Amino acid sequence: MIGTGRNGPGRLGGRTRAYARFLKDAFVVNLKATLEYRVNFIMQFFGMMLNNAAFAAFWLVLIGRTGAVGGYGFSDVMLIWALVSTSFGLAHVVFGNIRQLGRIIMEGGLDVYLLQPKDAWINVLASKTVVSAWGDLAYGFIVLALMSGTDLERLALFTALAVPGALIFAATFSAAESLTFFMGNSSAVSSALTEFMLSFSLYPEGIYGHGMRWMLYSIVPSGFVAFMPLRVFRALDWKLVPVLYLTAAAYVGLSYWLFRAGLRRYESGNRMDARV
Amino acid sequence: MRSRAFAPARGTSRRCYAIAASTSMRERAAYPGNFIGSMFTYALFVFIFSRVWAGAYAGASEIAGYTMRMAVWYFIVAEVPSFGFGRFFWTLSRDMKNGQIAYLLARPYDYVGYNFAEKYGGSLVEAGVILAEGLLVGTLLVGPPPLAGGAPSLAGGVAAEASRALLVGLSLLLAGALNYFLQAAIAMTAFWLEENEAFFWIFQKLALVVGTLIPIEFLPPIAARLARLTPFPYLSYAPARIMVAYSPGEAWSLVAAQALWLALAVALARAVFSFGSRRLSVNGG
Repeated sequence: MIGTGRNGPGRLGGRTRAYARFLKDAFVVNLKATLEYRVNFIMQFFGMMLNNAAFAAFWLVLIGRTGAVGGYGFSDVMLIWALVSTSFGLAHVVFGNIRQLGRIIMEGGLDVYLLQPKDAWINVLASKTVVSAWGDLAYGFIVLALMSGTDLERLALFTALAVPGALIFAATFSAAESLTFFMGNSSAVSSALTEFMLSFSLYPEGIYGHGMRWMLYSIVPSGFVAFMPLRVFRALDWKLVPVLYLTAAAYVGLSYWLFRAGLRRYESGNRMDARV
Repeated sequence: MRSRAFAPARGTSRRCYAIAASTSMRERAAYPGNFIGSMFTYALFVFIFSRVWAGAYAGASEIAGYTMRMAVWYFIVAEVPSFGFGRFFWTLSRDMKNGQIAYLLARPYDYVGYNFAEKYGGSLVEAGVILAEGLLVGTLLVGPPPLAGGAPSLAGGVAAEASRALLVGLSLLLAGALNYFLQAAIAMTAFWLEENEAFFWIFQKLALVVGTLIPIEFLPPIAARLARLTPFPYLSYAPARIMVAYSPGEAWSLVAAQALWLALAVALARAVFSFGSRRLSVNGG
């Protein structure tokens, strides 16, 4: 794992700090690059929020007619939209290459990351940001601000819940993309998983039959990014937050293991690339 | 540079557009693998919305005049224009921004008409595939669509079903054409503004809320009345409504309204092109 290996656990803290600094620097560089194209940034930012708001209108009308759907009222649906949107946005803001990894592997583009001292997986994932994801990231907080009963504790809990959600999104998408090492091209699997995960996460858990629930807490972990965080947030149950972090760590560990296993099969594309 | 100067005789022009449309259709049909992504996403949406409607109808047999089966079939048909005819903007806008338009305008055809033939023709294949998939998935999920009904005899029933199928098909074709010309008008704002995606996003989301995800009858009365004054219900509500609550009078009035909005959209697209293309300056070659 990152931070252990030949250097032993004694240097774990130092390496963790080094990777935290690296992620911060990558984030700042990506942010500066994004802000170079301000009009594009603003358009994508508001465009993504508009997209999410359209679905809010749908739920407002439908739940206005029915009272509840699958056991969720309007505020519950808005909260899962807020949680999923912010987690999804955070994953793509910090790890912008999570859905490009397969293409990079296919084109032999990993060479440039393998030659650098930082771990190739973290390096490649963090080397880009997705502009529209900033809109997603902000949307969750805007929804939260508009909801009644929001205070500092709820804001802190929401943020604490969005982080493992983002890690689970990043780990799951990255794992699907890493299948490229084994399949040659995993774009169909990856697109399917993305659609499944987003679609299942954004609708009330109660509409899915019991036969599907196991899937929502395993292969397509919508349960850990939407449904369980919603229950924790509703109950203000901080005790369950570490469980979500441990779950996220397990998904990240599995995803990293898959990448490393696949990397042994990687063949250089002999490409000449420069990272500026 | 104005394309009109190069416009061929009317008969030749029609043949040219027909060839463009059929070539585009054959090109799309030659790569059926390209439909897999859309087909998968469409099937997933239909499945999820069938579950959403099952949840919504848990305590009611009818909402706003729709049963659960009607609501699911409504969604199946209303999504066909979104998947089949929802992406014209991107190719048209790209041609404007990358300078391709300079070459396209110099060719001996009417720019708006030729692009319509080419892009609409190609999209008919995808819309047909999605519709066929929707009929299959819908039948598997909730059974066949509600009967067109109304006729006391078997022959009358068959005639009503045939009439409904014909009008749903016609309404979908009009919805596709209306979609094209509205998107073309928005795309051609690139003559003035390089960043014009925001207009399309607003258009797309209004189309989604007004009649695609949910029937107009579900909206609050004032919102429903206002919606009917806009072209949005005629992009997906019209064919879906004809499918699930067929009555010849209402169906023909919806088709007539679609035709009227289509005429207005064609005029709008032509006006935007006419004013916008004057701003185009082509240097070199």
